Amino acid sequence: MASDNANLPGGKITFLLFFALVNFSFTIGIHNDNFSEELYVKPFSSGHVMFHFQFTTVWNVSIDKPESFQHYHLFPKSLGDVLTTYKVKELHLSQTQGLWKHEKWGYPPEDAPPGDELWVWFQPHSGVDQTWADLVNALSGLFCASLNFMDSKSTVQPRWSFRPAGLASEFYSANSRFVRYSTLPREVVCTENLTPWKKLLPCGSKIGLASLLNSVKIYDGFYHSLGVHVRSVCQDTQCLTPATELKQTLTVVYDPTTNKNGKQDWSFQSMFDRTLQSQCPLADTRKIYVDVTTQETLPKFSLSPVPDFVLNQKRSGEERKIAVYQIGNHLSPSSLNLKAMYEEKLTFSNSSLPPVYANRFVTGYGLERGGVTCMIYNTMSSNTTVIFMETVPWFLRVYFSSLRIENDGKEIKPYKINFIPAKDRANPYQMELVFRLFANSVTKITYSFERAFLKWTEYPPDANHGFYVSSAVVSTVLPVASQYTATSQSVSLLEESFSDSSSSFFLRLHTETLLVSLPTPDFSMPYNVICLACTVVAIAFGSLHNLTTRDFTASDPSKRKGLVAKLKSFFKKEKESPENKPDSKEEEIPSQKDKDNSKSEEKDSKKKDGNSET
Amino acid sequence: MAAPMVHFYFQLIAFAFLHQCAGTSPEEFFKSGHTNNWAVLVDTSRFWFNYRHVANVLSIYRSCKRLGIPDSRIILMVADDMACNPRNPRPATVFNNANNQINVYGDDVEVDYRGYEVTVENFIRVLTGRLPPSTPRSKRLLSDEHSNVLVYMTGHGGDGFLKFQDAEEISNVELADAFEQMWQKRRYHEVFFMIDTCQAESMFQKFYSPNILAVASSKVGEDSLSHHVDPSIGVYVIDRYTYYALEFLETVTPGSKKTMGQFLEVCPKYQCISTVAKRTDLFRRDVNKVLLTDFFGSVRNVELLPDSIHLQNATLHTHSEDSSYVKSDKPLNYAQQFPMPV
Repeated sequence: MASDNANLPGGKITFLLFFALVNFSFTIGIHNDNFSEELYVKPFSSGHVMFHFQFTTVWNVSIDKPESFQHYHLFPKSLGDVLTTYKVKELHLSQTQGLWKHEKWGYPPEDAPPGDELWVWFQPHSGVDQTWADLVNALSGLFCASLNFMDSKSTVQPRWSFRPAGLASEFYSANSRFVRYSTLPREVVCTENLTPWKKLLPCGSKIGLASLLNSVKIYDGFYHSLGVHVRSVCQDTQCLTPATELKQTLTVVYDPTTNKNGKQDWSFQSMFDRTLQSQCPLADTRKIYVDVTTQETLPKFSLSPVPDFVLNQKRSGEERKIAVYQIGNHLSPSSLNLKAMYEEKLTFSNSSLPPVYANRFVTGYGLERGGVTCMIYNTMSSNTTVIFMETVPWFLRVYFSSLRIENDGKEIKPYKINFIPAKDRANPYQMELVFRLFANSVTKITYSFERAFLKWTEYPPDANHGFYVSSAVVSTVLPVASQYTATSQSVSLLEESFSDSSSSFFLRLHTETLLVSLPTPDFSMPYNVICLACTVVAIAFGSLHNLTTRDFTASDPSKRKGLVAKLKSFFKKEKESPENKPDSKEEEIPSQKDKDNSKSEEKDSKKKDGNSET
Repeated sequence: MAAPMVHFYFQLIAFAFLHQCAGTSPEEFFKSGHTNNWAVLVDTSRFWFNYRHVANVLSIYRSCKRLGIPDSRIILMVADDMACNPRNPRPATVFNNANNQINVYGDDVEVDYRGYEVTVENFIRVLTGRLPPSTPRSKRLLSDEHSNVLVYMTGHGGDGFLKFQDAEEISNVELADAFEQMWQKRRYHEVFFMIDTCQAESMFQKFYSPNILAVASSKVGEDSLSHHVDPSIGVYVIDRYTYYALEFLETVTPGSKKTMGQFLEVCPKYQCISTVAKRTDLFRRDVNKVLLTDFFGSVRNVELLPDSIHLQNATLHTHSEDSSYVKSDKPLNYAQQFPMPV
């Protein structure tokens, strides 16, 4: 910035500087957006460390008025064009590899299921299905992901689970006509997804916090998740005009204890193979936060360099200490290599469990039937209402009558159920249940399904791998922010959430995805060739053999015995045997014999007549 | 509105001066006949043991990018993910050499068709341009009659076919017809077709459209062989022909004068074990006079002008900030995320 200039050599230069300053403030006035880059580091008691990068752009225009999306400055034009063309009001895309372990790590700032998840609220208009199909194609080109597979076979309209995260009227949010939700549990996330994500950032990936993003190290982590979230937020505290917020998040979890000394030591150099050498000049907020709540208790660690100050974060029952670094203060003389050094090796202990967490798995055996069980744990001492949402593909035919919710053996009746059965090759099963989770207990949801036969063209090229079922989504509201790190709804930045006075915290959890085998035909070539060849040989050879080896002789139709004559000859044989036979039968036979003889004589005479005529 | 208009005028005027590179007339500028370069790079194999096919296609991708073809002009189709595969001991890397000298996956890669999207249908649709209207630009081959298109295919093949992902095949007749469709729709100026599979020559035997130069890694009846195994990965990392082709391409710079004739002689029999076959009868120019960068690079001849050009200010003031949003009289509210009573 111009004000950093220490030397003012002459009047001319002073005038130029003054002019530049005026120009600069004038341009600030025209450009009504701001950008922030933040990094939140949180070590876990299991030895892992989470790095959560958040790049927030807030642009003071309303997404409801697409014609105002002009004169792009910090907001990426490629994304803005997609949002306006496809009448998007809110967009949430996450691309994740790995499973977030809630029992060990608490709650992430942005919870995401393995694979890709996309949910979008559209502006009210007709033909939302077509707009959704076009939007996923456009996004697949923008993010290099196969989002075009999110067609009607895997798309649902959640009724209660995915309400808008930003500004919206009551009437609009209650109408699930404008929301679409879809996931791709199989999708791989690699550098080709990070590249276009980085290109959306105003400072790119060469300077600022994004320069730490080394793909070789990030994709070597335990868990990584890319997120793009667009929503409407308030421009100011009065909230009479909306603004558009774009939040790009990247959450990475590493395990530093696999290094030589077994301690949980981490640093930028060891985790990213790079140090922070610059900050983005376009950003208003450039900060790093480290969670140092456990710094004084075991395990003890020290940070280097020393933080600028330590904040006390109070969030309804949960107190955490956050060390804050202003990046600009630490870049000279050399780059910033934030380090944490632990005194002792990691001792594995049971970490405190989060208030609510869930596990889901497939039950049953064989390729005909199966079941799904989801266990939701409530470790709080108070009851809470929970919304459980599941999307099951059409080829796992769910028996709704088998759906049971149990708590400690007793059946629980849900308050509300939204169950939409599947249509083959058109829609998936959609299930949303609202029920009560009792304190300090485990609730088990079970249902059984039957596996369908797919047409042979519908199998993917690696059919024997199996088919994936998306994660279930559990939504609830927590009274305490225990292990809760998400930003609150009314603010944009992480630092604004540190002083949060709300008393209820919305929580969304994703469970594991499921891998299910379907009855698969054997696509292997040799087996099919053998079957076909053997069938052809059997049919051809058998027929040829019959034709060549059977001797055909002419038979006299007159000598052909009718049924009665056959019976007669059968009994005649019996007569010769020493067995007893009733006398009546013996008498009958001669009369039958006479009748037959006369019949055959008549036939003979007729034939003779016939012959003589010809 | 303003920026594109200004940009257009500038380009128009700059273009008119570009003849300086070769001579003084526009005809001399069009000596090679092409004005833009495209590349369609396809890997058709799935599964970890076909690691080398992904390494093949990424090697050619890397060369194209290095020599100047931008990502927007490259359609990269990779049928399986090797870099972030759980079996890869070095995630986010694909090496073409056991010594791990070059990470051909790199840090700046954009794959347009990945995984299950790599099918015969999508490939033919990309070539012929008959894609559904919602297909994004990065997945389209937007070439015109002045485009030189490089088509590279690798995978498992046989006499007259190339296997796509173990599930389907493309035959040489289909491929020849696709190129003929491209010719009739004026979708290419010249095509360089490169194929690295077993019995690869069979794939270009049926071509009948003009201006196609083709090279294949093996003749009909021969198998293309892979180069070496990386013991830490346990699979072959690169095929012979592409390995030696990449070695040759690594010596090429954007301003290089190396010719296609030299490139067609890469990998003689003692190196490749299979015989490299080529087809030059459909190609009008003499291959020894065609620059390698005509197909692999995107060389733009730029002339810096010493004089300044005055451009008209064609800004149309279409939008005033005040009308961006009418302030509502009531404060707006955030949506309630949990619609049930707690």
